[in-house]
Amino acid sequence: MKTQESATPRRLSFEIFRYNPEDPESVPHMQTYELDEAPYMSLYLALNQIRETQDPSLQFDFACRSAICGSCGMMVNGRPALGCRTLTSDLPDVVRLHPLPVFKLIGDLSVDTGTWFREMVEKSEAWIHTEQPFDPEATEARMDDDLAQAIYEGERCIECGCCVASCGVANVNKDFFGPAGLNRIARFMMDPRDARNDSDWFEVVANADGVFGCIGMMACHDVCPKELPLLEVYAYLRRKSLAAAFAKR
Amino acid sequence: MLGDLESSAVDLARRQVAYELLSGASGLVLALFMWGHMILVGSILTGSRGFDWLAGMLEDYYIAQPTVIVIFALFLVHGALASRKIPAQLAERKRMIALQKGLARAGHNRPATASDISPAQPHVESLLWIWQVRTGMVILVLGSFHVILLGFDVLTPLFGERIGIEALTSTERVRGGLWLPYALLLICVEFHAGVGLYRLGVKWGSGRFLSRRVLLNIERVLLWFFLVLGFIVLLVLAGILPPPLAFLLSGVAG
Amino acid sequence: MTAELISTDVLIIGGGLAGERCAIEAAAAGHDVMILSLVPPRRSHSCAAQGGMQAALGNCVKAEGDNTSLHFLDTVRGSDWGADQEVARIFCEEAPVAVRELAHLGVPWTRVRGGKNSYVIKGERVEIEERMENDGLIMHRDFGGTAKWRACYAAAATGHAALYAVDSEVIRLGITVRDRTEAVELIHDGDRCWGAVARCLRTGNHFAVVAKATVIATGGYGRIYGQYTTNATINEGMGAVIAMNTGIVPLGNMEAVQFHPTALAPSNILITEGCRGDGGYLLDKDLHRFMVDAEPEKQELASRDVVSRHMKQRMRDGKGVETPYGPHLWLDLRHLGEAHLTTKLREVFEICRDFVGLNPAHELIPVQPTQHYSMGGIRVNKDGQAYNMAGLFAAGEAACWDMHGFNRLGGNSLAETVVAGRIVGKKVAEFVAATSLDVRTTVALEARRTAAGRAANWLQRTGPGPSVYAIRNAMGETMMSKVGIFRNGDELEQAVAEISALLADCDKAVLQSKVPGMNPELSFALRLKGMLRLAFVTANGALLRTESRGAHYRSDYPLRNDAEWLNRTLVRWAGDAAEPVFSYEPVGEIDLPPGHRGYGSDERIEMRDTIEQYNENVYARQAQHGRLDTVEPPGSRMHRGAWKEYV
Ligand SMILES: Cc1cc2nc3c(=O)[nH]c(=O)nc-3n(C[C@H](O)[C@H](O)[C@H](O)COP(=O)(O)OP(=O)(O)OC[C@H]3O[C@@H](n4cnc5c(N)ncnc54)[C@H](O)[C@@H]3O)c2cc1C
Ligand code: HEM
Ligand code: HEM
Ligand code: SF4
Ligand code: F3S
Ligand code: FES
Repeated sequence: MKTQESATPRRLSFEIFRYNPEDPESVPHMQTYELDEAPYMSLYLALNQIRETQDPSLQFDFACRSAICGSCGMMVNGRPALGCRTLTSDLPDVVRLHPLPVFKLIGDLSVDTGTWFREMVEKSEAWIHTEQPFDPEATEARMDDDLAQAIYEGERCIECGCCVASCGVANVNKDFFGPAGLNRIARFMMDPRDARNDSDWFEVVANADGVFGCIGMMACHDVCPKELPLLEVYAYLRRKSLAAAFAKR
Repeated sequence: MLGDLESSAVDLARRQVAYELLSGASGLVLALFMWGHMILVGSILTGSRGFDWLAGMLEDYYIAQPTVIVIFALFLVHGALASRKIPAQLAERKRMIALQKGLARAGHNRPATASDISPAQPHVESLLWIWQVRTGMVILVLGSFHVILLGFDVLTPLFGERIGIEALTSTERVRGGLWLPYALLLICVEFHAGVGLYRLGVKWGSGRFLSRRVLLNIERVLLWFFLVLGFIVLLVLAGILPPPLAFLLSGVAG
Repeated sequence: MTAELISTDVLIIGGGLAGERCAIEAAAAGHDVMILSLVPPRRSHSCAAQGGMQAALGNCVKAEGDNTSLHFLDTVRGSDWGADQEVARIFCEEAPVAVRELAHLGVPWTRVRGGKNSYVIKGERVEIEERMENDGLIMHRDFGGTAKWRACYAAAATGHAALYAVDSEVIRLGITVRDRTEAVELIHDGDRCWGAVARCLRTGNHFAVVAKATVIATGGYGRIYGQYTTNATINEGMGAVIAMNTGIVPLGNMEAVQFHPTALAPSNILITEGCRGDGGYLLDKDLHRFMVDAEPEKQELASRDVVSRHMKQRMRDGKGVETPYGPHLWLDLRHLGEAHLTTKLREVFEICRDFVGLNPAHELIPVQPTQHYSMGGIRVNKDGQAYNMAGLFAAGEAACWDMHGFNRLGGNSLAETVVAGRIVGKKVAEFVAATSLDVRTTVALEARRTAAGRAANWLQRTGPGPSVYAIRNAMGETMMSKVGIFRNGDELEQAVAEISALLADCDKAVLQSKVPGMNPELSFALRLKGMLRLAFVTANGALLRTESRGAHYRSDYPLRNDAEWLNRTLVRWAGDAAEPVFSYEPVGEIDLPPGHRGYGSDERIEMRDTIEQYNENVYARQAQHGRLDTVEPPGSRMHRGAWKEYV
């Protein structure tokens, strides 16, 4: 374990974006709170402490508080990150917190990622397409474990939206599938249980809202808290598109 | 194949692939050309005789003339296709720049820690992209001017009026004031090409062979190499520096 | 703006695995379905389950010969005979189908690799040759308290993968989901449920959802233990609360609370049981592997209650590592190797790195037992229909369907969510097909007014008063220290008294913030009283149950007492009543006679009656306690004696 005890704790100052759209009197502004740092303090602990002792109206989202549910994406000093997983010991004395851009603001640090991701899933029809009905009597269809692991790798996305928030293209093109969307598409392309073939996917993915919208800013890859190999995913999609373009009809 | 008309959605997608390929490939060819270009122009380092000899050869064997046309065409194609990716609205460009600033600053603020996961900290690529756009704009203006100028040099002799690329004209116009736009163009082109190649590699899957860190470092080494070389060439062209490699040709009869 | 009243065929409260699987079944039958959830469904706590899902497929060598009867035996023994054995039977038989169905929906289950494989079993590295003919079938891992390797898993994110697959199906079917919406009150007329009042957590507005059938699938309520839980912050138990507030729907076995042996100290984030399944050790401060002495047979893989108790005891014996946050023990994974940790146990690796900054390949992990699972919940019959209330169903962790009794086995709850979702969903669909909506809208609007009035009341209170957060913290401290792993009469009495005092405080509490909109403080305040009431019945139920069974351990009554306590606690508490009413019903028809669990103490007080005597009036007595008739007659799926050839 890291030893984090020090004689006098640091005094942290949190500059937090405030705006409550439900309150006609509210105007967007930054508000500053101060807090003594404690060992292993994460933004989850810090923000709850601020809410419980200083400002009960502060809005933010946490659920699992263990970097698994994807609720708590926020801009930490300009960089999207999971609040629950960000330790204050990794941050400077002044911490600026903003809500994730791209997503609709609910209030203060809370944004509506749920709606964005549901639309993304609907748009890319990110579910297994199959003609075969489920047969409760049959043994499961076999799958090579390596393939299962490869699919799992993409499946790990927790839809936190950090990548989307960090991507310049997603910030300006509302129709862009975004990193997480492209990742989800690739995950289903890889899956042999999905009946869609390369040319079905081709129309979805080979355009300015798909993988060719990506201009290689690479922020998505760097901020993804689950360390998804997003750049490899785009390369895969590009190569697949290329192959599909040259394939016989 | 590309361009067939059948189903419109598939066709649209095919066109998109073609655009993406063309803009990438033209960028690639242009970038490689620029390195070759450096070697050609670099012949000035051996003195004007070497420069003239090489230029003469390329013109006599009709290599230079089609090259100028092809490169200019690629230049325009690339410029047109690549700039599709530049956000049209000012507000959008501002948003991208603000985002990039935040990311870059967050990177500098962050000490390397246990929870630091990314291979490239602080994140720089968003910044690089924005500068790629800016340098691209500069190249569009200065590069067009330069290539048209050289086009006149290379193509007009075909009609018997002038003598093509020649050390004397080159050095004179550089000395006469073109050194400034050239210096700017040089920086922009080397940066733009270097970053472009790096991005191209990552986009199409170099990650399987080389980590981004390594690739970026290779890119940086190449960038500095060609930048320094380019400036030496420019200094020689401007007559500030004597041709450092002139001794190579000192024994050769003119 | 939402209308004050909307209607649907089926209202599902909770977008976790249980709720969504249920919704699919009802929607596939052609009904109009609406799901309410506090968070986007994919953020429900089901996503946090890492370890696996029990289903007797018997695909790998260490699972050979596995079958539903063995699973049944493990489940009933694990429950310390508190389970309803018919439900356990149904569950074990349906689990393989449910798991395969998830494969059909896209879960990337880890698969059997034919040929040589290297596993770590009980600390030894073992080479096992998997059969080539099973190559590519769903793989299993070892979990505590099971005879065979049985837990199917998708690397280290089983719940996540399952939830995403099921949610994708929900989206495919176009089911309406209202996230950031909280059910705050049931609409009912005393014996028939007609939907619920919901509060929008974006705007703070209340609206009534009128439905022919209502399903509560709100998951666990570990947050009544304050911060001492592995559960998410949203697991506050409002599903159980709104059912209990009716005063007629009983909650079952609220004192049956599971503690997980390995929560990361000090943040209480769960470190999956898979770690021990894969060969992890528990060490005390002298780096001694105490579980080998304590349970020579099962060692670290004895059931959770047993391991938690040995750990707690070890720390009481002064063998814990002392820290400012209290003592903890060590989990040792170093011998598994970095490659294993970064692939098979990757999520664990990341949790260690991100939340305490250590690398489990080289360092020990600080762990402590903490609240993990709520076996208790809304008491339902085998169709998932709540006692005493037609049209109200419950499934998943929120329900007391009762296959877990007093201790659920690792991996059984995730499987329960999908199995129950399938079964209850079907029953809901049948129920809806046979009814028409004839609720008086006045009932619904009245319920809405009541709920909205509660919020208004909180906003009107002024003057000095305790803070809602202080009350919550006090509740957590009381629950963990006095209604925890070891319980005794004195402490439980104190706990009951303390919580009643907190309930009184709650009525005096004052909000600091009156901002319009969802107002986070108000949203929490609206739950606080319900949470306190859940805490109260948990503590009180534990006080009344003078025996030890499964996770409920009384040091003043250390033996399981089948003579007097082979029953299920039921508790009812109307929203406006001063005190809860406890009663006890038989656990269900007994097929596997009470015996030794195979781990933990073998001492117990035997039944006085014969099994036949016990079984004689079981169903009639349950009916007296409010059990509604099921579609198939009770006991029809017992498969009595089918386990006999496997003991
Ligand atoms: C850390 C952890 C790890 C676990 N690992 C395993 C494992 O490996 N294997 C295993 O078998 N089990 C495991 N479990 C247990 C298992 O995950 C849960 O029991 C199961 O996922 C519960 O599913 P559910 O659908 O019942 O509830 P949840 O998934 O908790 O869903 C509850 C839903 O109800 C909604 N909700 C709650 N209250 C309201 C309200 N008032 N109004 C509207 N909506 C509401 C929530 O938004 C949520 O959508 C684990 C549990 C934890 C805490
Ligand atoms: C086929 C087309 C080209 C030919 C024949 C050509 C030739 C030359 C020549 C002869 C010079 C010496 C200076 C002069 O005479 O003005 C020069 C310099 C230069 N050219 Fe080009 N060029 C070509 C295309 C380009 C392009 C496309 C670019 C970049 C957009 C470019 C960038 C430069 C720069 C930056 C210099 C300054 C020299 C240095 O410092 O390296 N050239 N080129
Ligand atoms: C006409 C002026 C030019 C403009 C406006 C321009 C603009 C751009 C832009 C905006 C991009 C990013 C495209 C994307 O992200 O998809 C780009 C990429 C690139 N450019 Fe240029 N550029 C110009 C000239 C050049 C020149 C002269 C070279 C060669 C030296 C070059 C080499 C590249 C390369 C290699 C890439 C990467 C291609 C890719 O990522 O697909 N560009 N250019
Ligand atoms: S890809 Fe990564 S950053 Fe993006 S939503 Fe998924 S987990 Fe978050
Ligand atoms: S940041 Fe955006 S531009 Fe591409 S590489 Fe990532 S999606
Ligand atoms: S709270 Fe779940 S990811 Fe942070």
